[in-house]
Amino acid sequence: MGLTDFFRKSLAPPAPKEDIFDDEFQRKLDYLAVISRRLFAGRLRAERRTKKTGSGIEFADHRQYNAGDDLRYVDWKVYGRSERMLLKLYEEEEDLSIYVLLDCSESMAYGEPSKFDHARKLAAAMAYVGLANLDRVALLAVSTKVDKTLPSTRGKGRIFKIFDFLRSVRPKGETALADAARQFTTQQKRRGIAIIVTDLYDPEGFERGINAIRYRKYEPMVIHVVDPRESDPGARGDVTLVDVENGESREITLTDGMVKAYKEEHEKWRKEIDDFCKTRQVPYVAADITKPFEEQVLYLFRRLALVE
Amino acid sequence: MEFFGLTAGQLGTLYLGVGAAVVVLYILKLRRRQVPVPFAKLWKRVLIERPSSALFQHLKRILSLLLQLLLLGLMVFALADPRFKGLSRAGRNLVVLVDGSASMQATDVPGGRATAAREAVRRMIREMGSADRMLLAQMDGEVTALSPMTDDVASLENALKDYAPRDTGLDFAGATRFALDAIRGLERAEVVIVGDGGYGPARDGAGEVRLPEGVPLRHVAVGRSGRNVGISAFSARRYPLDKTRYEVLVEVRNYSDRREEIELSLYADDAPLEVTRMTLEPNGSQQRVLRDQSGANQTLEARVQFADRTRDDLPADDRAYATLPARRRSRVLLVSDGNLYVQAALLLDEYIESEEATVADAPQKMREGRYDLVVMDGVTVPAPPGTAVLYLHPSGTDSPLEIDGATPEAAEIRRPFFERIDARHPLMRFMSDIEDTNVGVATRYRLREGDRAVAASAQGPLVVVGQRTGGRFVAVTFDLRSSDLPLRVSWPVLVINTIDWIHGEDPAYLSSFKTGESWRVPVPAGVDRAEVEGPDGRRSSAPVIEGRAVLRGMRAGFYRVRAGNEAQIVAGNLTDPDESRVAPRAFAELNGTRATAPIAGRVGVRRELWLYLLAGALAIVVLEWLSYHRRVTV
Repeated sequence: MGLTDFFRKSLAPPAPKEDIFDDEFQRKLDYLAVISRRLFAGRLRAERRTKKTGSGIEFADHRQYNAGDDLRYVDWKVYGRSERMLLKLYEEEEDLSIYVLLDCSESMAYGEPSKFDHARKLAAAMAYVGLANLDRVALLAVSTKVDKTLPSTRGKGRIFKIFDFLRSVRPKGETALADAARQFTTQQKRRGIAIIVTDLYDPEGFERGINAIRYRKYEPMVIHVVDPRESDPGARGDVTLVDVENGESREITLTDGMVKAYKEEHEKWRKEIDDFCKTRQVPYVAADITKPFEEQVLYLFRRLALVE
Repeated sequence: MEFFGLTAGQLGTLYLGVGAAVVVLYILKLRRRQVPVPFAKLWKRVLIERPSSALFQHLKRILSLLLQLLLLGLMVFALADPRFKGLSRAGRNLVVLVDGSASMQATDVPGGRATAAREAVRRMIREMGSADRMLLAQMDGEVTALSPMTDDVASLENALKDYAPRDTGLDFAGATRFALDAIRGLERAEVVIVGDGGYGPARDGAGEVRLPEGVPLRHVAVGRSGRNVGISAFSARRYPLDKTRYEVLVEVRNYSDRREEIELSLYADDAPLEVTRMTLEPNGSQQRVLRDQSGANQTLEARVQFADRTRDDLPADDRAYATLPARRRSRVLLVSDGNLYVQAALLLDEYIESEEATVADAPQKMREGRYDLVVMDGVTVPAPPGTAVLYLHPSGTDSPLEIDGATPEAAEIRRPFFERIDARHPLMRFMSDIEDTNVGVATRYRLREGDRAVAASAQGPLVVVGQRTGGRFVAVTFDLRSSDLPLRVSWPVLVINTIDWIHGEDPAYLSSFKTGESWRVPVPAGVDRAEVEGPDGRRSSAPVIEGRAVLRGMRAGFYRVRAGNEAQIVAGNLTDPDESRVAPRAFAELNGTRATAPIAGRVGVRRELWLYLLAGALAIVVLEWLSYHRRVTV
C-alpha cells in the first residue's frame, strides 16, 4: 500500500453504522409480540389493573366512611351485620404506564459490539410490547440525570417515534442512577413500571438507584446488560487501567491470576445484585449480549412477567 | 583461566557504562499501555485484596534488573575471551598434506578418492583440540598452501573447499620439504599425509627429506582398489620431407592384475581417425604406431576405454592429447646460374614456393618481394637487412665469411670429411649419412664471433651458421658439384632443416608436454608475456623468457597460447605410470620416521568459553521470552 493509499484510507469517512432498528428488527418485534401473546394466552388483556383503588368494578378493600363520601359505595350488608359504616373500594382500572430507563453512560459503549446497541434493542422490544398492549410507554435516557425523554405515548404506530428516540441517544458521561431516578420520579407523576436497562456500573452503588425508584412507589424492573468479555481486558503486563467514564486510572501489573480474581469479583458482584433484587422482589434479568436477541427477549417477558 | 580478549580495565569500563545505562532505563518511569475498563471500582476491590501481589511485582522488577545485569556481565566476560589455563599451551601444530595428484581422481570409493580425502581432513579439523592449529596444503606437481596455520575451524573448512586433485604427478620431496619449512620452530608439530600411498621417494637434489626427531608422522590412507588402463605414451610428428603427413605413437598400458579388452580411438581435429580393439595382458602394455597418416591439421587426441564401454577407476589417463607443428608456406629465391640439385631439393616440399633469379636481377627481386630464404649458389649479392640466406660455397665481396688464406688456392681444403658434427643443432637433425659424404675440395673460411661451425673437418668448417645484418645465414663451404652430398638423403634434409631453422620451426618439436612440469613454448620474438587459456577455460598470463613462454600446465588437454599476434595450441598429458597405477600402496615410513594413524585433539570439542557464555546469555533471554509470552512472570 502506497502513502497516498494510506492517507486516502485514513481520511476516508467511517463506514455508516448499520441501523439497528431496520425492517428486519421490526418484523422480529412483531413476531416476538405474537409469540408472547401465545405464551400468555388467556391472561392478556387490553388493559391492566393497577394497585391504585378507585372506580373500577373489581372489589378491592373496605375503608371507614368519612363525611362527604358517596353513599352509593357504602356496604350496607356489613352495616346490617356490624353497624359499621364501611365504604367498598374498587380497583381502579386505568392504562398502565411503562417507563423504560435506558442507561446512556459511557460504560455502556464499552466493547465491540457494545452493550449500548443491545440495550437499545431491548428497550425497543419492551416498549413495543407495551405499545402493543395499549399501555402508555415513555422512554428516558439517563446517566447522572435524565438526559433525554420521550413522553408517554400509546399505540403500536408510535413505535417509530421510539425508534427515532433510541437512534438519537448517545452514550456519554458517568453513571448516577440514584440522581437520575430522583429526577425521573419528580418529572413523571404517573406511577407505573420502571424498566431500567443498565449495566449497573454505578460508583455510588446500584442499590441506591433501584431504591430511589422503589421508594416512590414505582415498580422497578432491572434488565442488567452484561458482556462476559468485560471480565478480561485482554492485555497483560505493566498497564494502566483507565475507567472509561471518569478517567480514573490505576497502574498495575496485570497477570492471569489477577484477571481470574477479577472474574471472581465480577461474579460476586452480580450475585450481590441478584440477591438484592430477590430480597426486594424486584424482577431482575441479566441480559447477556453474546446470546441471541430473540431468546433473550422471550426470556425477559417470562422473567419479568411483563405481559401478565 | 587465561584471558585473550579485552583487558580488565576495558571490560570494567564497558560493564559500568552499559550497566549504568541499563539501570537508568529501569529507573525511568515505564510508559505503560493504557487499558480502558468499564468499571474501575471492581478492579479496586481486587487490588485491595492482593497486597502481596504488589510486593511480588516489585520484587520481580528488581529481579528483572538483576537478570539484565547478569546478561550484560556474561557478554562482557565473553569479550575477555577466557580460556582454561594450560590448554592454550598444549596445542599441536598440524601440517596436513593432502594428495592432489591425478591418482586421487580415482573413483574406486563412493564419491571418489578426493571426496574421501576431503572427509578425512574435515574429520581431523573437527577433532582438533581447543589450542590445536592446522595448516592445510595440497601436494601434486607442486605444493599449494590452502590455509595459513590457524585454529579457526571455519576458515579451515572453507579452505578445504579449494582442494581439488589435478592431472599431475606428485612432487613428494617438495611437499615434505614444504612441511619441514612450515613446522620449523614450532613445538608439538605433527605432519599428516592424506592420500593413496603412491607418493614415491622423498628425495631430491639436496638428499633425503627427514622429519626432525620427535615430530610424529600420521598417515590417512584413501582408496580401495585399482582397475585402470591408461595411455602411457602419445606422440605425433610430421615427416621431415613431407610435412603434410605424420605418424603417431600410442602406448596403452594395463595397470591391473587382470586381462582387459580395450578400445583405442584416435581423433584428428576432433574427427575420428581410427578405432582399434586390443587385449592387454595383466600389467602389460601395447604400442601402436600409425604411420603415414594425414588429415589432421593441428590436434590429435587418443581415447581408451574398456571394450564393453565401461569406465575404469581413473578417467584422467584415458585421454591423451598431441599437437602437430603448424605448417607455413615459405618463399625461397634461388640466385644461381643453374643448379639442378638445389632446384630439386626445393621442389620436395609443396609448402615451398621457389623462384629463380640471376645475379643481375636478384637485388631488384629481393627489394620487391619478401622472401623467407635466399639461396645463393656460388654467388653473392648484397641482401637487404634481415634477409636469411643459404650460401653455397660463397665468394666475392658480399660473402658473409672471409677466406682464411692469402689466395683462394691457399685456402683450399682437399678431401675434407665431416668429422665434427653438432648433432644437437636443428640444422643437423635427421642427417643420417652426412658423415659418409665425400667432398673434393672445400674452402677454409675465417669465422667471426658468433658464427658457429655445425659441421667441420679437421682442416676447417664445412657448414657454418651465424647472423648478419639482422638475418640468419647458413654457409656450406664447398661446391655441391664437387661432392656427392646432392646424391645423399642428407642434402634435401639440410635444405628443409635450413628453412625450418630460419622459420624458427624446431625439428625437436614436442607434440605434448607432461603436466606438472614447466613447459617452454616457443613464441614470436619481441613479446614478454603470453596469454594462456587452459582446457578448463581459465585464462592466465605466462612470462616469456628467451623467446619461450614458460608455463606450468596442471590439467591434461589443449592449451591456447597467444603471444603477440600469433596463437598456437599446445597439449598437456598425464603420462605418469605412478599416477596411473591407482591401486593403493602402503605408506609405512618417511625415511626413518614411522607413519601412524592420526589421533584426535586432547579436547574433542572447542573450549573457547566465550561461546558458552554467549550461549548462556542466549538461554537466559529465551527463558525470559518464554516466561513473558507464556504469562509466567507477567
